[in-house]
Amino acid sequence: MMRESFDAFLEDIESDRESLVSLGRTITVRELREAAQQLLKDTPSIKGCAVALCGLLPHELITALVAFDGHVSSMLLLPASLSEEATSLLVHSAGCEWRFDSLMEQPVRLSEGMGKFTEVQPTTWILATSGTTGTPKLIEHSLETLTRTVKRNVSRASEYTWGLVYDPFRFAGLQVVLQSLLSGSLLCIPSEKDISAQVKYFADSRVNALSATPSLWRKLLMTEGIHHLPLRQITLGGEIADQGVLDALKQAFPQARIIHIYASTEAGAAFAVQDGRAGFPLAWVDGEDAPVHIRISERNHLMLRPAQLPGGEEIHNRIDRDGYLDTQDMVKVEGERVFFLGRASGVINVGGNKVNPEEVENCIREMSDVADVVVFGKKSSMLGQLVVAEVLAAHDGDRTELKKVILQHCRERMENWQVPAMIKFVNTLAENAAGKRERIN
Amino acid sequence: MLVDEGDNLNNEKQEEVSMKEKILETMQEIAADSDLTLMSHIDDDTVLLESGLDSLGFAILVASLEEKLGYDPFSMMDEPVYPRTLGEFVAVYERYAP
Repeated sequence: MMRESFDAFLEDIESDRESLVSLGRTITVRELREAAQQLLKDTPSIKGCAVALCGLLPHELITALVAFDGHVSSMLLLPASLSEEATSLLVHSAGCEWRFDSLMEQPVRLSEGMGKFTEVQPTTWILATSGTTGTPKLIEHSLETLTRTVKRNVSRASEYTWGLVYDPFRFAGLQVVLQSLLSGSLLCIPSEKDISAQVKYFADSRVNALSATPSLWRKLLMTEGIHHLPLRQITLGGEIADQGVLDALKQAFPQARIIHIYASTEAGAAFAVQDGRAGFPLAWVDGEDAPVHIRISERNHLMLRPAQLPGGEEIHNRIDRDGYLDTQDMVKVEGERVFFLGRASGVINVGGNKVNPEEVENCIREMSDVADVVVFGKKSSMLGQLVVAEVLAAHDGDRTELKKVILQHCRERMENWQVPAMIKFVNTLAENAAGKRERIN
Repeated sequence: MLVDEGDNLNNEKQEEVSMKEKILETMQEIAADSDLTLMSHIDDDTVLLESGLDSLGFAILVASLEEKLGYDPFSMMDEPVYPRTLGEFVAVYERYAP
């Protein structure tokens, strides 16, 4: 479904159709396209340049994406939640020549354009990774890679009203924006951050399609008024969907189509499971009808052979002789079903936020009161996984006090979800046969 | 085995009080560890996600209770229930108590 630009997709949709609601204002497809054309006209020298879009309001971001896609060489999307320090650093490292912080003000010119870009060439969309401390990494996408899982049915799309629960600057939020706008559905963007207020807004707006992580769905199910949403489409992604959350959603919304999505960023491949059950059918492994070529390696890693393989040495080393990429996701087969166990690397997924155990260990090991530490994920029925630290204290003393000090130390240096949910004091740290610390729990 | 009805009721009542107390006590511990402030007055009608614990704090509560009580009702349910208020939450733990 490749088109040359975001705007080219909108051309197909009736111009009177409502496209988005933001800050209480409804914007039609025509109004969105006109605002985008005006923006491009107002900033003619931006063509062919690398542009940074920093912390714009959601409708401003969408206007800018429609305006600039296909006309600039790259667009760097940075959420408002990033510090100014991190923002400047990333804007610089992505070689941006223009920076927008609002569409109400003129953009700032950072350097002279190279002017090598010709129109119609695909624009590179650059997103920042979330979930790790320090400076986020930049990941390059294109409209094509971002829309690979978008189902487009313009005539049926008018039946759907999507609600946005994610930051549109992040991968998951952008997916919802693109799914909704490119197919011609209405997108409702809540102004409130509070979940109860968002649910009330969605109910008032008759939102009937939502995409969220399993953890966020559990939270939504605990929120008053969620049952008033006339949901017809429920999408889960970003972490392992367990049977409990799938069943709870089925029970709460018997009319809805419930799908959970498996995506591997590196493989650029994704498949959707629609039968309401956790995991996916064993028949897909080496199967004819599989949505993508799937195998399970001897080490129980999920192996995928997508239509297009991404480049880069790191990826290259993970591809086997038959062209299958090691996703590093561990699976187990039970009966006719394949279930996900988590990352082989031990990366912990706390409600969709990835935590690198080594990073947490290094942070705790800095402390003179700590002799050593091992960090691993513990299964959580609420957030998928939680971070647990087993600590070998450097000397005897008050453990309650030491626990407090460790938590304080971590909180000052890491994101909330990286801070251990539990700290246990032990006399020896467990190691497995290979001498590697055992992280599966 | 014969059970004295009166005694049994009495036991259940006691269990109810102590379960709620255990849960409230654990909530206080987590709030203190996580630098969160709980609402000054929490009763059965308090909405859990408005009690001062965020969703991470709430997940830690369920995990801590599993350590203390030896079970996690949310991983045992055939009919999934996600409680909204403290009263509902306590009832879930009582229902699944071994």
